[in-house]
Amino acid sequence: MTMSLGRVLRTGTVAVLALLWLVPTWLLVVNALVPAESYSGSPHWFPTEFGLFDNMSQAWDRANLGPAFGNSLLYSVVSALASAVLAAGAAFATIIMPVKHRALWFWVIYSGTLLPLQVFIRPLFLSYAESSLYDTQFGLVLIYTAIAIPFAFFVMRNYALTLPKEVVEAARLDGASWWRLFWQIHVPLTRSAMIAVFVFQFVAVWNDLMFGITLTTSRNIRPVMAALADLQGNYSNVGPPVVLAGALLVSLPTLVLFFSAQRFFISSLKIHR
Amino acid sequence: MSTSTTDRPATGGSRRTPPAGGEPRPVRRDTWISGRERLTAGGFMAPAVLLVSVFLLAPFVWTIHRSFFADTRTSPFSWFDNYTRFASDPALTRSIQNTLLWVVGTVVLPFVLGLAIACMTDATRFSRLARLCVVLPYALSGSAVAVVWNFMLTTDGAVNQVLTTVGLDSFAQGWLLTWPGNTLVMILANAWQATGVAVILFLVGLQSIPPETLEAGSLDGAGSWQQFRYIVLPQLRPVSIIVIGMSLVNGLKSFDLIWVLTQGGPGRATETLAVSMYNETFLELRPGAGAAIAVVLTVIVLAASWLYLRRQLDVKGE
Repeated sequence: MTMSLGRVLRTGTVAVLALLWLVPTWLLVVNALVPAESYSGSPHWFPTEFGLFDNMSQAWDRANLGPAFGNSLLYSVVSALASAVLAAGAAFATIIMPVKHRALWFWVIYSGTLLPLQVFIRPLFLSYAESSLYDTQFGLVLIYTAIAIPFAFFVMRNYALTLPKEVVEAARLDGASWWRLFWQIHVPLTRSAMIAVFVFQFVAVWNDLMFGITLTTSRNIRPVMAALADLQGNYSNVGPPVVLAGALLVSLPTLVLFFSAQRFFISSLKIHR
Repeated sequence: MSTSTTDRPATGGSRRTPPAGGEPRPVRRDTWISGRERLTAGGFMAPAVLLVSVFLLAPFVWTIHRSFFADTRTSPFSWFDNYTRFASDPALTRSIQNTLLWVVGTVVLPFVLGLAIACMTDATRFSRLARLCVVLPYALSGSAVAVVWNFMLTTDGAVNQVLTTVGLDSFAQGWLLTWPGNTLVMILANAWQATGVAVILFLVGLQSIPPETLEAGSLDGAGSWQQFRYIVLPQLRPVSIIVIGMSLVNGLKSFDLIWVLTQGGPGRATETLAVSMYNETFLELRPGAGAAIAVVLTVIVLAASWLYLRRQLDVKGE
């Protein structure tokens, strides 16, 4: 079989890019495998011994990852779920229900995505300190939910725009209440968008570092990325393999979620024109 | 029509919904219903509106207000002092330069690479595997990416090891120690992670191009470059806008990668506005200066988003 020059070039480019991309990932995995005690100080390129689980358990103990994992799981699940439902409600109200000043409400909620997180952080820090929300799980759930809502609303609203108005009108004529309409028609019809929103926001909350290090101090409240940053700060003490194993460990939940839910966000990110 | 109710056939263009039943009702009852409906709609919107207002908009206003007050103990009103620091403080000047570098680097690299990889990979098994290599880092967090790249870039790290092995010792260096090299390698690290999402989005866009269009193009004798230039690229415009908008905002806000890799150092050489703000506020304990930085960052984000958003809303015809 002969291939055209263009095809060879294309395959070559793709191969080179893929290889370049793979190198850091490969190093991450291989060096997380090296037993921490036998790490010589220079990076390994091929696995020799298998010390991954030992490294992971060391990272787990050193960085107190146990409670951090539980916390992040709580923050991510609750905030992502709450933001998906609340954003669906807001999208339902502003698109389906007869509401005045739609544009105003859209901007009030959507403006949140336009503001950098840095503008919120100190006022929140101060008022959290005053209201004893500081260093509590409830406080973090609140702020993560609030941050997730604007983008969730944007996606849900895009999706709600594509729903046929006739369905709602028919149901209204049959005397269904708005509440019933929302739960029995709107939510089921927008289900895949809601799942996409959930996954997106779960990942965003799981990966947050800034609020995690600003609004908490206790080890049993802080989220997992704060714990990882702490471990990284101990880089020379605990050894690179342990830090890498820790990074791998805290990435597992998002990796799994991301690849198992891929089809949902491909379909709901399609641009509706 | 004998009554002034909204009871008319539900036409496509009508925004109002006829009251339940369909019988004409007296006016009073009708206004009562619409009042109740407004209340219900308010109930649906209230949690989202409240959370956003209390946790995001109110702190935003407070930060603007705070940025006009000095950092001394009594915090007197200081006009634009916190803003004029941008001109006089070399750390902040550098921070602005870095932010601009980040914006260019985080928009151009993931866009070009993402588009190239999405277009050049097809359905063969090799292509799908190659694509997976690029998408994989996207699932890692900024903090985890920083850990990996720290491992690559430290003095006895993987990059220097490779350079020494192939005999390019002179290029081996402390990658994170000198400006602008340290900012540039962090932008590369960011691109390593962020290209994945661009690939995914462009793939979605490519799937929505009807194959007939491309077939017609090739029947008319368009080469693959011409097809790309005149058929694929224009069709990808809506996706491109989203990719650019996302990278733009993410680049401006980037915090965790820099924070974990260098904490903005050495000195304050790798700070972007996002990191400077954190530094000034929480480490140097100058909340007024920090607030001003946050406001400047907001202005830049808003200005950048404006272009993107205008078109974005255009696409949906709202």
